[in-house]
Amino acid sequence: MVGLKKHNFTKFFILIGVLSFFYLPILSLMIFSFNDSRSLTSWSGFSLQWYQALFENREMMTAITTTITIALVSTFVATVMGTLAAIGISKSRRLIKELVLSVNNFPILNPEIVTAIGLMLLYSSLNIEKGFMTMLLAHIIFSTPYVILSVLPRLRRLDPDIAEAALDLGATPLQALWKVIVPMITPGIISGALIAFTMSFDDFVISYFVSGNGVKNISILVYTMSKRINPTINALSTILVVIITIVLLVVNLYPYITKKEIKEAE
Amino acid sequence: MRKLIEFQNIVKSFNDSLVLKGINLSIHENEFVTLLGPSGCGKTTLLRILGGFISQNEGHVYFDDIEISNVPPYKREINTVFQRYALFPHMNVFDNVAFGLRIKKQDKNTIEQKVKKMLKLVNLEGYEDRPVTLLSGGQQQRVAIARALVNEPMVLLLDEPLGALDLKLRKEMQIELKKIQQEVGITFIYVTHDQEEALTMSDTIVVMNAGEIQQIGTPTDIYNEPENRFVADFIGESNILEGVMLEDYKVKFDDQVFECIDYGFEDNLEVDIVLRPEDIDIVPIEMGRIKGVIKSSLFKGVHFEVVVETPYREWIIHTTDKVEVDKEVGLHFFPEDIHIMYKMGTY
Repeated sequence: MVGLKKHNFTKFFILIGVLSFFYLPILSLMIFSFNDSRSLTSWSGFSLQWYQALFENREMMTAITTTITIALVSTFVATVMGTLAAIGISKSRRLIKELVLSVNNFPILNPEIVTAIGLMLLYSSLNIEKGFMTMLLAHIIFSTPYVILSVLPRLRRLDPDIAEAALDLGATPLQALWKVIVPMITPGIISGALIAFTMSFDDFVISYFVSGNGVKNISILVYTMSKRINPTINALSTILVVIITIVLLVVNLYPYITKKEIKEAE
Repeated sequence: MRKLIEFQNIVKSFNDSLVLKGINLSIHENEFVTLLGPSGCGKTTLLRILGGFISQNEGHVYFDDIEISNVPPYKREINTVFQRYALFPHMNVFDNVAFGLRIKKQDKNTIEQKVKKMLKLVNLEGYEDRPVTLLSGGQQQRVAIARALVNEPMVLLLDEPLGALDLKLRKEMQIELKKIQQEVGITFIYVTHDQEEALTMSDTIVVMNAGEIQQIGTPTDIYNEPENRFVADFIGESNILEGVMLEDYKVKFDDQVFECIDYGFEDNLEVDIVLRPEDIDIVPIEMGRIKGVIKSSLFKGVHFEVVVETPYREWIIHTTDKVEVDKEVGLHFFPEDIHIMYKMGTY
């Protein structure tokens, strides 16, 4: 009995250790966003001044808008392109399928810095002025493969007769795609979109190399600020953490809520 | 009956292997036609060509005297019940059945009436709001049939629709399908490898093997007068032997001459002969036309399957009487039980 308790205690201790290793830095960051002074290590009282400073800092607000705009637009484009590409790949012959998939996996396995430098050189050699559009294009490029990879397994599980059944019942190929195929692979599309969004949202390496003309996303801004760091960054990070937590909660709880509704309906 | 569908010399190959070798077939209005054959014989391929899901390499398909080879599946007045049902799992029963009508933009009341009527026809009243994924195999099958029939097609294609059901349910559905076909009064084209299913439901059976039609006929024709060894063997258990047609009404096999009722063959032509196991009687040795020893007897429920060994071959006989193994017996059959066929490839 004593041995068992000791064993349980060890387990508990390890669990707490791991959790605090993961979450203490985030927790400290959140706490010090409410600090009264500029210090990031000693607590001197509660205040919201850093949040105020954040919303008054025009540079920072622009960076946030840029980040969110690029994340939303690139996610949308990558999701549509990736989904259509995945459907096309799933219908192609084996050889073409394998070829396209290898091409698709390459940017994922490739170190980000290589993609970044490559894109930078491409834009320079084509004399394209770097800025918002180049960054947007780069984000679409690196997130599309992830959408394809998350949609394909769903398509693989799809009964091939399903699409034919839709055609058989009078649906044109486009109607079959929209009314039958897309709803059935929606979970894959959503997870692909979520991956694309997070990839775009916190990307630094590629964005840093393909941006210019003073266009900055949050990561670039934080990087340039890090020499003269102040708790505005903490305030910004806290807001991001809260948003991400809410999104994760919704995504994970959504299936339970709908399932409950189905059960109640029966 | 009016001719509705005509296949003319349909040839189809996949990756250099010939799957259909020139199929010619006419199908009439209100007919229940079964394409019967072993797997890989091309029956499903022929059905998919008619459905418009694949196209033939050569030949023509006519529907109501109009060539439809280039008409896409969604413009054909044909609906299909798929082998694994292919229901839309993200929709409930009502939405599945209503799918085709909604595509055709019919108004809400009409759709509701038609769907209700169809669900009643397939005995699924009150199941409208159930998710299809929670239905049993038999119920999913019914939804698939309702979903196809609600569009009022001129032809319904069924691709081994009962293959996944258990024996008892399959028999029930066979009767029900036949009933539905008579009620809606349209052409059913049914694909199966189950000869019993084909015999039970069809008006016409098309026996296929290796991309060719072996025989077209009514169930009784096919069973009683198979055209060749393949058909005889595929439709039920048979004793198939080789013999020589000496002259009209006289056939020789196992070194004996037997009287038969077939005529019109060349004299001394080598032929295949069928004797159905249920047409042979086991009699006392002195009354038999052939003598043999009982080798085994298996209880099969309704009958015993008895194997009798003679110097020439083993005979399979179905009898309801219990027999003693190792006993010497005689075998008796009547001239009309002997069925003579041309050898494959000689006619």
